Amino acid sequence: MHHAHINKPGVLTRHRYWIMALALVLFLPPLSFLFQFTGDSNFCGTWCPRMFFVWRKGAGLDAYFMGYLRSFMGAALVLGILATTFFFGRYWCSHLCPIGGAMEMGSRLVPKFLKIDFSRVPAVPLRYGYLAVYFGAAALGIGSLCCGYCNFATIPRLFGAPFSGADLAYFLRTAGLINLGLVLLLGVFAKGGRAYCNLLCPIGALDALVNRFGFRWGKRVVVAASRCTGCGQCLDRCPTWAIDMPEKTARIDALSCMPCGACESACPTRAIRCQKSQVNPAPKVRTAYEKA
Amino acid sequence: MRIKSLIAFFLAVLVSLAAGTHRWGDSSHAIGLMSANGGKTRHPSFLKSGWDRYTQITTATVLPPYHGDVSVALEGYPSLDYEIRLSAPVVDLGMHRLPVFKDNILYDLQPKDRLTLWVHMRTFPRDPVCGMAVREGDLSLNHKGHTVYFCAKGCLERFKADPERYKNIKGPQGRYDLAFYDTRTGQSVLKVPLIFKSKEEPPDASCAHQ
Repeated sequence: MHHAHINKPGVLTRHRYWIMALALVLFLPPLSFLFQFTGDSNFCGTWCPRMFFVWRKGAGLDAYFMGYLRSFMGAALVLGILATTFFFGRYWCSHLCPIGGAMEMGSRLVPKFLKIDFSRVPAVPLRYGYLAVYFGAAALGIGSLCCGYCNFATIPRLFGAPFSGADLAYFLRTAGLINLGLVLLLGVFAKGGRAYCNLLCPIGALDALVNRFGFRWGKRVVVAASRCTGCGQCLDRCPTWAIDMPEKTARIDALSCMPCGACESACPTRAIRCQKSQVNPAPKVRTAYEKA
Repeated sequence: MRIKSLIAFFLAVLVSLAAGTHRWGDSSHAIGLMSANGGKTRHPSFLKSGWDRYTQITTATVLPPYHGDVSVALEGYPSLDYEIRLSAPVVDLGMHRLPVFKDNILYDLQPKDRLTLWVHMRTFPRDPVCGMAVREGDLSLNHKGHTVYFCAKGCLERFKADPERYKNIKGPQGRYDLAFYDTRTGQSVLKVPLIFKSKEEPPDASCAHQ
């Protein structure tokens, strides 16, 4: 590989904020550009990426696949996300997702002393406990987490509320206020702005599984152990608290990592790169909370 | 370490179950199909009595070949204050023709149009004895720091005699409809039932007003 290339963070890392900003403009009000191709104005409806894959008690196969047709843009989006993750890494989450992007951009406007550090929270078990209920409650017919707690519904309405009465109406109800609270608490006021993504996003949870189990085959954020000095600068910068440092070498948990490149930029010896992995994924990662 | 992860997992399951199974009852969603022969609703919207404002979201698709102008109204007794808003892109880039919504009339609905209406409702105070709507200025009583209004003297006397009996009766009850009518023929093209439920029906709903 070219020497200069090795010494500079990748082009996608350097220009990540511009790509995120572009995604916000394309997806969110006031423009809602991509949605208007299908006659929609937000993620609800044709573009819903969160409901079609959930099987509901009493639904036959035909009803289940009707859900894919009803949300065909959402289904195409999610299947595309999972496929690109398998081969290239979670670039949807880190660069393109307008929902995570809006929360992360928002968190950059919040002064440091107000930010909440969630890095002692055990993200992986909490995330999959939530995902288990996301599927289980619907399958048992006892309730649903799909629409009631959805930041894909909340964030576009937050952007639309200053302009549109229908979007404002979303917040004039208990569920809307709870969602706003979750977006603020786990997004905007979270250190790194990605605690919501890391804990409560069902697409992120599925995507993380693909990221972890496709590790051997696709590009991932990896540490070159020989170059790592164990300085720990990457630990503090990771928005999804995916890095730990056993025996003075950084290790990245592919179940929480997305290729945002924060650690790549922070690393003084350029030991972290997004590339096709030569090593096995960290077999068992001890996160900060586990050591405590 | 494993134990900590297991505890975290089950904690997440418990909190998510509580969140996923609880219904606040101040908002609800219904899906409908609009057609010339009265349309069809997949299921009614259930709301809980006791809130002073409600939101109902109706997503409707226009079944071919129906097309026309459609008026929308919230029907039910006693009437509620309500506002209906159509969800639409803030900046319309003109990629799709959208129906125009003005003064509660949807203009120029075409086959296969999909639309989302947000209905925001406010309730009036009600007589706790019979459930009738009452207004400020009606007969009233100060009960535990709250002003309670009554439709007539008989209800007030009953309440005074046994206030505990009437404590659960708040807000609208029973069935309302978000009703859609073709403005040309006057025919109903969709009716979305909104059912307000309380823990108890008014105990003296049939009381004779004096």
